Amino acid sequence: MVDNGESLAKLIIIDDEPIVGKRLKQVFTKLGYQVETFTNPLVALEYMKSNPFDIVVTDFKMEEMDGMEVLKRARQFNPDARVIIITGYAKPETAKEAFKSGVFDFMVKPFRLEELKEAVQRAAQGKD
Amino acid sequence: MTFFKELVDKIKGAIGLGAPTSTLTIREKFERFKNVLKCNQTALEIIADMGEKLSGDYIFDRHYIEATVDELSETVLRCVHALNALCDNKYTHLYDVYERIHDRLMKILSGREDREGPPILLLNEITKSYFGIVGGKALHLAKIINDLSLPVPEGFVITTRSYHDVIGFSELAPKVDRLEGLIASPVASAEEIEKLRKEIRESIYKIEPPPHLLEEIEEAMSKLEIAKKDKKPFFAVRSSAQEEDMDFSFAGQFDSVLNVKPEPEAIFEAYKKVIASLFAKNVIEYRRTVLEGEGQMSIAALCQVMVDAKASGVLYSTDPLNPATDDIVIVANWGQGESVVDGKMPTDSFRVSKVDGMKIVEKKVAKKKEGLFLSPKGGLEKREIPKELQDKPCLSDEQIISLARIGKKLESYFKHPQDVEWAVDQDDNILILQSRALLVKEDVQVERDLSHLEEKYEIIATGGLTAQQGIGYGPVKIVKSIDDLDDVPEGCVLVSPRDMSLFVTVMKKVSAIVTEVGTPVSHMSTICRELCVPCLVNVPGILSKVKDGMEITVDAEDQKIYKGKVKELLIYRNSQCLNVFESSDFRLLRRVLGEVSRLNLVDPLIEDFRMDKCETYHDILRFIHEKAVNELIELGRDEQKLLKGHITKRLELPIPAGILCIDLGGGISKDAPEDYCEFKHITSIPFKALLHGMMTPGVWHTDVMEVSFRDMVTSIINAPTDALDGQYSGHNIAIITREYVNLSLRFGYHFNIVDAYCSDFPRDNHIYFRFLGGATDITKRSRRAKLIAEILRAYDLNVKTKGDVVTARMGNMPRQDMEYHLEILGRLIGFTRQLDVHMESDEVVELYRDAFLRGDYEITRR
Repeated sequence: MVDNGESLAKLIIIDDEPIVGKRLKQVFTKLGYQVETFTNPLVALEYMKSNPFDIVVTDFKMEEMDGMEVLKRARQFNPDARVIIITGYAKPETAKEAFKSGVFDFMVKPFRLEELKEAVQRAAQGKD
Repeated sequence: MTFFKELVDKIKGAIGLGAPTSTLTIREKFERFKNVLKCNQTALEIIADMGEKLSGDYIFDRHYIEATVDELSETVLRCVHALNALCDNKYTHLYDVYERIHDRLMKILSGREDREGPPILLLNEITKSYFGIVGGKALHLAKIINDLSLPVPEGFVITTRSYHDVIGFSELAPKVDRLEGLIASPVASAEEIEKLRKEIRESIYKIEPPPHLLEEIEEAMSKLEIAKKDKKPFFAVRSSAQEEDMDFSFAGQFDSVLNVKPEPEAIFEAYKKVIASLFAKNVIEYRRTVLEGEGQMSIAALCQVMVDAKASGVLYSTDPLNPATDDIVIVANWGQGESVVDGKMPTDSFRVSKVDGMKIVEKKVAKKKEGLFLSPKGGLEKREIPKELQDKPCLSDEQIISLARIGKKLESYFKHPQDVEWAVDQDDNILILQSRALLVKEDVQVERDLSHLEEKYEIIATGGLTAQQGIGYGPVKIVKSIDDLDDVPEGCVLVSPRDMSLFVTVMKKVSAIVTEVGTPVSHMSTICRELCVPCLVNVPGILSKVKDGMEITVDAEDQKIYKGKVKELLIYRNSQCLNVFESSDFRLLRRVLGEVSRLNLVDPLIEDFRMDKCETYHDILRFIHEKAVNELIELGRDEQKLLKGHITKRLELPIPAGILCIDLGGGISKDAPEDYCEFKHITSIPFKALLHGMMTPGVWHTDVMEVSFRDMVTSIINAPTDALDGQYSGHNIAIITREYVNLSLRFGYHFNIVDAYCSDFPRDNHIYFRFLGGATDITKRSRRAKLIAEILRAYDLNVKTKGDVVTARMGNMPRQDMEYHLEILGRLIGFTRQLDVHMESDEVVELYRDAFLRGDYEITRR
C-alpha cells in the first residue's frame, strides 16, 4: 500500500470520457482516496512508471489500447496493483478473459456508484 | 433509423396475415392480451430504469443511451403490434404515431436538436420542451418566472436554432464544423485553431441577417407587455449558453451589449457581438481544457428590457469568501450594476444573517461619487451622484431584507448558492436580472477528503437508495399525510414514511427528502431529479430516529444522515464547480426522457384519450394498456362464450355484488367448481383484499334507498355516455391474476373501477381507483365525490376530482400496505354505493366522512 499519510490508497482512473474521470475523482477524494485521472491510457502508464499506485480503474474500450493491455502493463510497474475494468460494451467472453488475466473486478456500464465504491473498498482492503 | 423503418413496414405488412381475432378461441385471445401486458410492462420498466440513471448515482455513457433507446423503441413497436393482433388491427394509426416519436428521438440522438424549434421565444413562453434551445441564463430566468413568480424584466430569447440559421446563411458552417472538429481532437494544432477561430469571429461581425429574422425580432418586441403600453424600451442583449451551467466558472466568459436601441437592426448588431464571443480566445481555450469531451456548442442570446435603475448590484446567497457562515452578502451602487461588477467604483455592502429570520448584521456605506446610467443615445454613461445621495446607503433596510429573502428563495430553489444580479427601478420595484450558481473563490480552503466526518459527527442513519444525489441540511419536518404539507418551512428536510408525488408542491423549498419506504423509480423520485432535490429513499427506520425540528444533514451521495449541521459537507457542496447534471450525457438522456416518459393521456374518461393525442412513448403505452383491457372487458360481456371456455366463473358472495371473474392465471384456486366460485377460492392477492373490505360487516347495505322522482329523471339524463356505451353496461367484471385485479363495477348509475397490482416487489405495485356517476342531481353527486375524495386523502391516496368524477392513485408500497389500502377501498365501495341520495348538505359530507374513518358504517341506516 502506498504510504501517503492520511489517505486510504492511491487510485488511478482511466476513461476516455473526461466527465467519468471528473466524477470519479470527486467521489473517491471525498471518501479519502488519493486520485489521479487520465483520458489517455498511454499518458496514464507513463505516470504509473514513476509514481506509486495501488488501484487502477480503467475503461475497457479506448482508442489507444484496451483495458486488458492496461492491466498487463500496470502489473509490470506494480505486480500487486488491483485493476478494475469498467465497460459499456460487455461480452461474457471478455469478462471471463479479464478474470482469467487477474482483473480484480469487471463492471458493466451503467452501474451504481455504490457498486464501484464497494469494489474499490474491497480492493483497498486486499479482499478478493 | 432505416432499420426501424424496415421493421415498421415489415410489421405493417404482416398485419392481416394472422388469424382474424373473431375466429380465435377465448384462450388464444387471452394469450394475446397477456402478450400486450407483457410488452407494456417491459417498456415501462425500461423507461423507469432510464429515469433512475439521472439520479447522479450511476456511471453511464452515450452508448448506453443509444442502446437503450433502440431497445425501448423495439419494445414499444412490439406493443403496438401486440395490440393490433388482439384488436383486429383497429389501431394501425398507432404505427404512424410511433414513427413520428421515433424520428424525433433519432434527431435528438444525432445531436442536432438545438437546430430545431422556434427562432425566437418570449421568456414566458419557455416551457420544458424548449429548455435545450434557450441556453442556461434564459432557462434560469424562465424558471424564476414560472416556478417562483419573482419579478424579472420581460424579454425574448434568440434561440440556438437561430444561431445555426445565421451561421448557415452566412456560409460559415463548414468553417465552424472544422473548428469544432479541431476542438474535439486532443492532437490538433493550436496555431490552426487560433487562425480559424479568428477568421470566423471576424466574419461574424460582417454577416447579414438571414431572411425573416429581423421581422421575428420586431414581432417579439411588439408582443412584450411594455410595448402594448406604447413604450419603446431599450434592451440588454446577453449571452445564454447551455454549458455555463455545467462548469460554473464558465459563466461570464461571453460578451453582453447594454442599452441597445429598440430597432431590429440594432438588436441584430448586438446579437452578432454576443455570438462572436463564442469564438473568443478564452472561450475556445476553456472548451479545450475544462469542457473537454463535451461536444459541439451553440449559443442563444437573451434580449431583456433595460431597467432604468435607481440602484443595482449583486447578491451572494452565501459568502463566497467564507462559505461556512450563514450570511447573505449584497453589494450595491446607484445606477446600473455594471459599476458594481467591474469593481472600479466604491460600493455599499450589506451582510444579512439567514439564521433566526433575516437580520442585517453589517452595513458598510461608501462615498459613492459616481455611477453608470442609461445614455439616451444607447449604452451607458458615467454620471456624478448628487451630493446628498453620495453618503446615503443606496438600499433601505426594508429593501435589503426583501432582497435577502429573494436570495434565500433562489438558493433553496436551485439547491446551490446563487450569484444574483438585481436592480431597483424608478418605482422602487426589485427586479432579478440573472441568477447563476455561485463560484466559491479558489483561494478558499475546501476540504475534499471527508472520510473523517464520522469521528466528529453522530451518524443517525446509513443506507437507503439515492433517488437524487446532493447534500441537504435543515430542521426535520415529518410528513405523514397531505395535511402536513401545508406548513412545510423553507429549507427543512422532509422525512416521510413513503414517497408521495404530491411532495412536488413543496419541493422548491425543502433542502432534502428522506423516506422510509420508496424507490428511485417512483414518480416522486423523478420530480426530485427534475428539481435537483437531494433525496434518499428506503432508509430503514428513519422515522424512529428523528423528530420534528431536529437538525440533520443528509448526504445523498454516500447515503449517510448526520445529526446536526455538518459544515464540512455544506462547504464541500457550495464549492462544487462541476455540475455533472449539465454534462452532455446527462443533458442528452434528459432530453430523450422528455420525449419518452411524459404522460399526457392521463385519464381515459376525463382527458382527450385518443391515438392522435399520443406525444410520447408513455402515451402510446398507456393507450395500448387501456384499449387492451377494454377489449377484455368487452369479451367478458359475452357470458356464454366465456362460461363455455371455463375461464370465467360467477362469484358467489354473501353480498349481492354480481361479479363475474375472468381468471388469467392464478386468480382462482383449482378446486373451484366449473361455473362458479366462492370467496374461499379467490387466490388473487389484490382481489381478495378488495372483497374482504366489501364484505366487512355493516358495509354493504342492501336496503333500497328512497330516490325522489327528480333524482330518478336526472340519473337517466346524466348517466355518463362514455360509461354506458357498451363496455360497462354488462356485468360487474373482475379480470384477475394472482397479483392483478381490474374490477369494473356498476351499481345503479354509478361506476367504480379499481385496477391494482400487488406483489412482493413494492416498486411494481400500484392502485388506481376511479369513481363516477350516480342517480341524483349534480350537487348531491358532487358532494358524494367530495366525501369519497376526502376519505381517500385521509388514507394517503393521491386524489383528483372533477365534477363527480374521482380518481385516486397510490403505488410503490409493500404488499401488506397495498392489501390494507385495497381493503379500505372495498369498504368504501360498499359504503358509498347508494350514498348520494343522502347528500343533502355539506355538513353531511363531514359527518359521513368522520363516521367512515371511525369505522361506523351503519350511519347510513340511521
